[in-house]
This record gives sequence, structure tokens and C-alpha cells, in this order.
Amino acid sequence: MKKVLLAFAMTWGLGLTGVAQAQAPAPEAQPPAPAAAAPAAPAAAPVMITDADIKGLSGPKADDKAKGDPGGTITGNVADIPVGDAKKGLTIGDVVNQVGQNTIAINFVWTLVTGFLVMFMQAGFALVETGLCRAKNANHTMMMNFMVYGAGMLAYWLIGFAIQEGGVGAVANLGGTAPLNGEYAVHLFGKDWGLFGMNGVMLTGATYDVGVMVMFLFQMVFMDTALTIVTGTAAERWKYSAFVVSSIFMGAFTYPIFANWAWGGGWLATLGASYGLGHGYSDFAGSGVVHAVGGVTALAMGILIGPRIGKYTRDGKANAIPGHDITMVLLGCFILAFGWFGFNPGSTLGASGNGNLRISSVAVNTMLAGMAGSFSAMYYMWIRYGKPDASMTGNGLLAGLVAITAPSGFVNPMASVIIGFIAGVLVCLSVEFVDRVLRVDDPVGAISVHGANGIWGVVSVGLFADGKSNFAGAWNGVPGSVTGLFYGDAGQLVAQLMGVATLIGFVFTFSFVANLLIDAVMGQRVTAKVELEGLDIPEMGAVAYPDFVLKADAMGME
Amino acid sequence: MALVGLVITFVGFLVAASSVGVMGSTAGRLGMVLVGIFVSLFGIMGVLNQAYMKDAIWKK
Repeated sequence: MKKVLLAFAMTWGLGLTGVAQAQAPAPEAQPPAPAAAAPAAPAAAPVMITDADIKGLSGPKADDKAKGDPGGTITGNVADIPVGDAKKGLTIGDVVNQVGQNTIAINFVWTLVTGFLVMFMQAGFALVETGLCRAKNANHTMMMNFMVYGAGMLAYWLIGFAIQEGGVGAVANLGGTAPLNGEYAVHLFGKDWGLFGMNGVMLTGATYDVGVMVMFLFQMVFMDTALTIVTGTAAERWKYSAFVVSSIFMGAFTYPIFANWAWGGGWLATLGASYGLGHGYSDFAGSGVVHAVGGVTALAMGILIGPRIGKYTRDGKANAIPGHDITMVLLGCFILAFGWFGFNPGSTLGASGNGNLRISSVAVNTMLAGMAGSFSAMYYMWIRYGKPDASMTGNGLLAGLVAITAPSGFVNPMASVIIGFIAGVLVCLSVEFVDRVLRVDDPVGAISVHGANGIWGVVSVGLFADGKSNFAGAWNGVPGSVTGLFYGDAGQLVAQLMGVATLIGFVFTFSFVANLLIDAVMGQRVTAKVELEGLDIPEMGAVAYPDFVLKADAMGME
Repeated sequence: MALVGLVITFVGFLVAASSVGVMGSTAGRLGMVLVGIFVSLFGIMGVLNQAYMKDAIWKK
């Protein structure tokens, strides 16, 4: 214990000492002696550039190009600008149009590539969850994480995207997305409350648009992250057919409804413009929209489906059921951390203009919070239980990443470390609470990683947002930068807590009722016999590890 | 009892959401939102989860 505390103190002490020395102010430079005042030069007359000035410009000669361009000095020039009218030749309008197209192209590429990174996080989730489950369920757990991608995408394409983004309006970074202009709203308390979008069903009609396509891909991979969270909590006893139906419902309705309220122009986002609550509910990349929605739905499923056989003794004492492959778990955590570089920085929806260069700050905030979370979780477990537990250290990394997701665009690096550090301790405390007090069985800790820390991330925006970000001078229709309580805006904290209340009070209820109906129609849980045997053969028809004798076989269970 | 728990949970959301119409000050809205959150948490942990634990598989 003393060695652990000493190591902890040394780690943070050395780090903070380094910070103090790095931040020690340099001696002030002496100002230069003032020069004699010179007479002011007359202002230069403005130079007007006309089409005639650029008409004669031409690119490199064909002979020069044929020699090759190893230094890249002649590739990319005036000849590469498309000419609108061949008779007129190159005009100022052509040049200005190309600048605009380049801006949008940069933003398209950024958003699409970061979306591809988020898609790859599915592999990370699959590895983490399968590694934390027993070998006899590995095929089933892996297949849930594999097909949640398809099930969610199908539902989202059919109707989910329309509900979420159908009325989001112009997204300037992506060229406007003008067809997404149908939001259904009700009038309450003197203001319009947006409830759901209506344009974009199956991406047909006017929503067959290049900007809308980018939005669909990026938002779809975020939706899938929320869906996959639930598979972790319900693993090892969830009927595969019920999982498919439940995931389709969540992708079609549960997730898109809350996401519309937060990101699609709905009532949560407009709390600032309508009622003066800061900049409205602000969730940069989805601690609430993605992770907490997944986490509270996981809680609903965990209560509904009940604990695994053998998880609790007759007097309610929790038994540990270890996973079968810790190497898979930590590899999965690293893949998730890598994918998070798409999740958070990609949420600017662009890398050019509108304050988007803050992507560097977002990326650094993300990695710092993950690091801090892994440290605090590791030290918590080391001090409390005597060993640096690998699975909780991995969950600590994830908790830090979940918690920073909402504030990543609005806070500074110091706040990121604090948020991540608290997240790492919170996930450990939450796992104990859910396991031992609520007695809700969660094989992978999804409720604690994504639910508890998703909510912490939402709240931390209302505390730590420093007002230094500048995304085109406004957020959620309110001029200025998102600012939290510690920097002077208590209204922002209220807006965030409104989001928390909606997650706990509405999303949980909605998810619970939906899954209760699915349970009534087809049953959510496998039989005890199937559960004891392992879900791989009865549910999937094949074991994940056919060359190995599993514990169930060794114990004579068929 | 499970249904009662669900209703209480949803009522907590309604209390929080209506704070912007009922209260004019930030402090008042903060108070009402916090009340709503705690009502919902009570509905989930104090009523709904307890109802499901009565018939828990580990008690059989």
C-alpha cells in the first residue's frame, strides 16, 4: 500500500513540478529605444483585379510537365481551376468558386475520414466485450457486436436519420444541407419545441445530396456506438433474435429522438435561444447523445433481463465472473482510443473555416482525458484491492474518453485532465454500486463506463467550458462561446442538467417500455439450460474456439 | 410496482422539463431540474429495480 501511494505521489509530483518549471515566466525583454517619428505614408489606392488580369494566366508548359515534378513545384496551378465558360476563359468567379469548393472538400474529407475511424471502433467494442465474457459465449457476443452495425444502419437509413437530422437545417461546414429543413415542433411555454425531423427517409428525393450523404455517414457511426453499448450489459443471456429487434428499434427511434433534441435542432439545443439557458444543451461529440443514451438503455436492459445465473448468491452477495481474454480487452481499448480521434475531433464536421482548426485542441483534450482516466482507475484499484487491475484500468481509459466527449470542444487541457481523472475514479465506484447495491449484472461495466461517465461528461460542460472556443461566433444559435459555471455562466449548467434529466427520465423510460414489449412478444432472455451450456451452440450453431475444451464441457454440461 | 416506478421516472422528466415554463430565474430552474432528476432516480432505483429484485433469479 505504502509503495503504491509513494509511486502515485511521485508520478503526479514530478509531473506537476515539470509543469511549474515550464510555466515559470521568462525575464521580460527590454523595450527598444523609440525611433524618431517618421511622416505617415499616403494610403495606397485600392487595386481592382478584373477578369482581364487573370485571363492570360496559364499553367506550366507541356514540355516541362513531361520532365516530371519531383519537388512538387509545378503540380497544382491555375490550369487546374475549372473554367465555367470556355468562351470567356478563366474569370474571378471561377477562382472564387474554386476556393469555396476547396473549403467544402476539405470539410467533406475530414468528416468522412473521421467517420471511418469511428466505424472502426466497432472492432474495439467487439474485442472489449468478448474478452470480458466467458469463452462459451464468445461467438454470440462477437456476433452481436458485428451485426449491431448492420441492424443499426438499416434502421437508421429507413427512418432514424430522418427523425434525427431531418430538420437540422443548414450545416455550413458541409455546404448547407438545405434539404434537411423539416422539423416538427410543438408550441409550449411560449416557444417552439422541436421534437423530430421529417426529411431524409431512406435518403430519397431532395436528400439525395452530397452534403446530406456526409452527414448520414458520420451520424450513423455515432448511432451505432450507442447501440453496441447495450450488448455489453445484456451479454451472456440475451436471445440473439431479441437483440436484433431491440437494436433495430433503438436505431430507428430511441437514439434518433434524443439526438434530434440535442443535435438536430430540437428543444434541448434551443434552451439557450428560447429561455436564456447558456447556449442550450451543448454536447460536442456525444457524452450524452451517444454514451449516456447507450448507458441508460443498458441499465434498462440490465434490470429487465436480470442477472446471469451464478452472479449472486441466495443472500445477494455478488460473485466475480471473470472474462476469458484480458489481452483482447486491452487491445480493444486501444482500438477504441484510436477511433476516438475520429469521434471527438471529427465532430467539428470540418477542418477549414468556422473555428475548425480547434481540431488540434479537441484531439489533445481527448487523449489527455483518456490517459488521466486510466491512471486514476489503476491507482484506485491498486490502493483498494492491492493490484493494478487490467480490466478496470482499461475501463478507466474508456471512462475518461467518454467523459471528455461532450466537453472536448469547449475546455482546456487542464480541465481535460481533471475531467478524465474524476472519470477514472467514478467508473470504479459506479461498478461497485451497480454490482453490489443495485444488484444489476453488467458483465462489461457498460452502465458505469458509458452511463455514469456519459452523464459526468454532460455535467462537466456546464462546469468547465472556458468560453475560448469560437465556432463561427455562435453555438446553438446563441452568439459567443460555450461557457460553464466556473467561468461565469450558471445557465449553461442548468441546460446540461436538463439534458441529464431527459436521459434519466425520458430515455430510460422509453427504452424500458420498448424492451418490455419485445420481452412480452418474443422473450428477451435465453433459457437457463442454454445459459449454462453457453450461448454459442444453441444460439449461433458454432463455438468460437472449437479446438479448446471449455469449462462448461469439462463440467459435464451439455 | 414496476409500472409505478416507470411512471415516477417519467414524472421526474416532466418536472425538469417544465422548469423553464414554471420558473423565471436560473436558480429556480436549477432547483426544479435537480428535483426532477432525483425523482427519476428514485423511480428507477427505489421502485422499479426493487420490484424486479423481488423475483430475482438468485432468490429462486
